Parts: sequence; C-alpha cells; structure tokens
Amino acid sequence: MIKPRVLGFWAILLCLTGCQPALPAPVAVSEPEHFAKILYPEDNPTTIEGLALGKQLFYDPILSVDSTISCSSCHLPELAFTDGRSVSVGINGRIGKRNSPGLANIGYLHQTLFWDGRADDLETQALHPVADPNEMGGSWPLLISKLRRNENYWPAFQRTFGLIEIRELTPDHVGKALAQFQRSLISSDSKYDRVERGEADFTEVEKLGHAIFFDLADEPDPEFHGLPTGECAHCHIPPHFTNQRFFNNGLDEALLLEDFKDIGRALVTGSVYDNGTFRTPGLRNVALTAPYMHDGRFNTLKEVISHYNSGGQYAENRNANIFKLGLSPDQEGALVAFLHTLTDSSFVNNADYHQ
Amino acid sequence: MKYISFFALFSVLFVLACQDDDYNPTRSENITTTIQFRAEYDNTNLAIQSATYAYPTGAELKATLFQYYISDLVLLAADGSEVGLSDIELIRYEDATADNIEERTYDVPSGDYVGLRFGLGVKPDLNATDPSNFAANDPLNENEFWNANARYVFAKIEANADLENDGTFDTGLSYHMGSNDLYTTITFAGNFNIDGDGDPQLVITADMLKALSDGTNTFDIADPDKQRVHGGNQAVATEIWGRLVSQFELSLQ
Repeated sequence: MIKPRVLGFWAILLCLTGCQPALPAPVAVSEPEHFAKILYPEDNPTTIEGLALGKQLFYDPILSVDSTISCSSCHLPELAFTDGRSVSVGINGRIGKRNSPGLANIGYLHQTLFWDGRADDLETQALHPVADPNEMGGSWPLLISKLRRNENYWPAFQRTFGLIEIRELTPDHVGKALAQFQRSLISSDSKYDRVERGEADFTEVEKLGHAIFFDLADEPDPEFHGLPTGECAHCHIPPHFTNQRFFNNGLDEALLLEDFKDIGRALVTGSVYDNGTFRTPGLRNVALTAPYMHDGRFNTLKEVISHYNSGGQYAENRNANIFKLGLSPDQEGALVAFLHTLTDSSFVNNADYHQ
Repeated sequence: MKYISFFALFSVLFVLACQDDDYNPTRSENITTTIQFRAEYDNTNLAIQSATYAYPTGAELKATLFQYYISDLVLLAADGSEVGLSDIELIRYEDATADNIEERTYDVPSGDYVGLRFGLGVKPDLNATDPSNFAANDPLNENEFWNANARYVFAKIEANADLENDGTFDTGLSYHMGSNDLYTTITFAGNFNIDGDGDPQLVITADMLKALSDGTNTFDIADPDKQRVHGGNQAVATEIWGRLVSQFELSLQ
C-alpha cells in the first residue's frame, strides 16, 4: 500500500513540473561545409522560439523611444542588411556617426563588433543602439517596462528563455534573441562560392580581378606574373573577407596621430596609436552595401578601388600594406567585377530573413 | 637571479619535428608551467608603434607587427623522451597597449630536462590543411594564410620607415614569409628541472632587428624591391628568414 505522504510527494512534483514553462526547442541553423562553424555561446544556443522572437524584435520599432526606428531601419535585407546611407539616421532624423555595416555572416565574426570594436559579441552589440541618442534614443528600463507589459512579447520571452516571473525579463534576453536571429543570416551562395565549389566559372574580367585581389602575380604559377597586386586579401580574407582586426587604411592625412577627427578604435582602447583605425569589414554582398567606409565617404566600389590604388593618405600608423598599386583603369574595373561576384541573391531574397 | 641563455641549433630537416610526442608514464606529477615568448628590437623590449627604432642604414622604424607560428613545441627530457606541449602556436605582437611578452601555459610532467624544440612556421602536414577545417578561434584559423586554400604565412614583420630622416614614417615595410621549404626546426640544449619548487621561467626571445640585420649583413629597406615580400617572391624572404631562424634564444630565469 502506498503511503499518503509518498502520494503527496508525487502530487507536488507533478504540480511543480506542470507549472514549468515548456523548454525551448533547439534548432541547428544550417551552415555551409566550407565555413568553420559558428561559435555559439553556451548560454545562448539558437532555438525555434528564440529565432522567431529575435526576428520579430529586429523588425519592430518598439525598440526605439518613439516607436519609429527598428533594427531593420538601418539594416535592410534587400541591401544585405545595410541602409544605403553614408551614416545611419536615428529618431527624429538625427544623424549618426558611422556607416551601417552589413550583417551577412555576422555570426561568424567571433571577435569584436562595430567599426570600433566596442562590443565583444552579438549579444552585447544588440544592447548599444537602444540607448544611443542618435539611433533609437531610448533607455533600457523604459524598453524593458514596455516589453514586460506587452501581451505578445512577454509570453514569447517566457517561452524562449523559460522565464516565470515578469521581473526576470532583462536587456540580456533582448540581446540574446536578437543575436539568435542575426546568427542565422548566412550568405554562402555567391558566384564566388560557386566558383570555389567548381559549379561556375569567372568571366575573364572577374578572373583578372580575382587574380589582383589575391595577389596571384606573386604565386609560382606564371599565369598572372607581371600583374600588379591588389594587396586586398591581407585584411579581406575569405571565406568572410575580413580578418576582424583594426587598421588605418589611409583614408585621412594625419601628420600627427591626434589629427584624426574620428579616432575609431582608440575610443575603446584609449591608445593614440589606434587613432584612425577601424575594423576590417567583411565584403560579402559588398556590391549591395554602398556607400563605403566607416563614414560612407565613397559612393561606389570604383571610388574605393581608386582610393587603394592611390596608396591613401599619410599617417604614421597607416597599414604597411597600403601603398600605390599601379592598377590601370581596366584592372581597377576588373577588381570591381570580382567584388560583384560576392553578391548572393539567395541571401538577400531569403524569405526567412524578411519581415 | 639565475639567468642562463641557450642559443639554438637549427635544422631544415623538418622530419624531426614530425615525431609523435613521447609521453613518459613514469612521470606522474604534472606541473603547470608557463613559457614566455618575448619580443625585442636590438635587445630592448619591442614596443609596437610607440618607440622609434634606429635601423643600421641610418633610417628609423616604427614597428607595427611582429608575429610567427611555431609547430610541435616539445621539451626534451633527460631520459631521452619528449614531452609534447603544443602542435601549433601563433605568437603575435601588434597591440601598442600590450607589452612584449606572450605567455602560453602547459601541464608539464615533473622531471629533468635537457632542452626544448619547436619548428618555426606551420609544419607541412598542417600547412596542407584548409583553415576552415579548424575552429573559428583556432590559431590555424587566425586569417594568416595567403588565401583560403593556400599555405599559411609563417611569420610577418611589418613596420613604417622614415628613410629620409624627415620625421615622416611613410615607407611601409611588409615581410610575409612562409613555405614548406622555409619550415625550420629549432632546438635548444640546456639542463633544467621542473618539479614545482622554484622552477625556472622559460623565456623564448625573438629580436625583430636581428631578423633584418645581423650586424654584418643588413637588409636594404631603401630598395623598393625589398620593401615587401608577399607570397611568391620568397627568394627575397629567404635572407630575412635565415636570420629570423638563427636569432631565437632560450633563457632560464
């Protein structure tokens, strides 16, 4: 015969487990074989619920103080998650400081984020724009209060993160959900990828641009001997076309390091030697992400290539691989043609990424 | 302070470095041991960007990057066995806010040792691999390769030079070296004991200037053809590489 107190124990246990929210369902985001796997943080694996919540938040202007600006205001999927502006525009038309970076393969960038590297990962990156007066212009206490009271979001946060009480919802959960969505933004089917996989061939012009981009003139194979080298792949290294590090690429003359107007990385490190250095951006879908550079000063890829061909402006911390390249106009054009092969229409048209 | 320096014996017979690690089971106690990798310029602590260095030709330099891979780092035990510490390490100095010491920590069986050995560069079997085969934060996926399917860059020296002594450091110097032919095994002989009690600090020092000038022969950085080595012009790199290999030093402090 079962003792009453044993029955009581099971009754309480049943009640307790029945009151627990259902566990979120893990989801394995499909990744191409030729990329090293995304490094997922242990405390934020992607789940079906988190992915859906992150996408909803990404497109919702509720994140801004006046409900006019969402993440997608500056990161439009049809522009490979950039906005086509020199610098971003926030609430009330406020002009930001920097050019909106693309988000293709952002989940693979496991080092720092932003042009100046002020965020260590996607989870913390997502926390910055909300309270930036030139972006969403709000405050986290206000936003969290709104989300706690929201009849759609509170249950979604509950399901995604197993929350029980409303006070448990914090900015970290918003950052985690947005990070889950952004880690799903994977571009791997450009013409460049198809050529790498042996499924397509470059045109002659693209092939020339590829050879200049990767300095094939330096290779033992004599096919490209005599060509100038583009020196691009010191920093723009495949498969994501960035080495995630910080350089001065000769955009502005600075006879003294203190002369830079936007000191870039130095805002984070406090080191004058980092003045005027910025994080190398990835180049996937770069033909869609104009204008270019941290301040959007170049409207076209042709202008970008012309800048590098010129050797750039003097500063004592200009990267040693920035020098006059000696590219002819045709060779500049070939580099532009190669950069267009990094466009992945299946990425920008992926319905999973759109609202 | 006890301070003993050992100069290296080096060999291009990279086969030596491909031996399997030979762990000696009679050593039961592991001691957490840190090896320091120190960078210098002309026997002074290397300071990225913040120092102005004299070059033997009369020019001045500001260093911006000094880095190298080592493969198969092993300790040579007195009983003839070898203790493998690491397959691959990337030692990099590029941060003006950091000091000139990179540290790596290993579990080392207590015992008597008679030397240390590593291969300078990425050993041939790893050099044949696609970086994407490694985790995104692996030293072999640190974006130090010529392109996605090609060989690794074993070592880099970058600086900006003031050739005219006019106060502007407007000549970039960029030496990127690497090929299976360049891979070189470096061996240090020297006795030390590791038992967790007053163990010596192992310091491996590399001097950026000594890779460019050995006091007798100096790399001509004023020659436009010798201001950069990227990829195929490794014949130019060989001169630097030879000096880089021969200047490593192990000290016990």
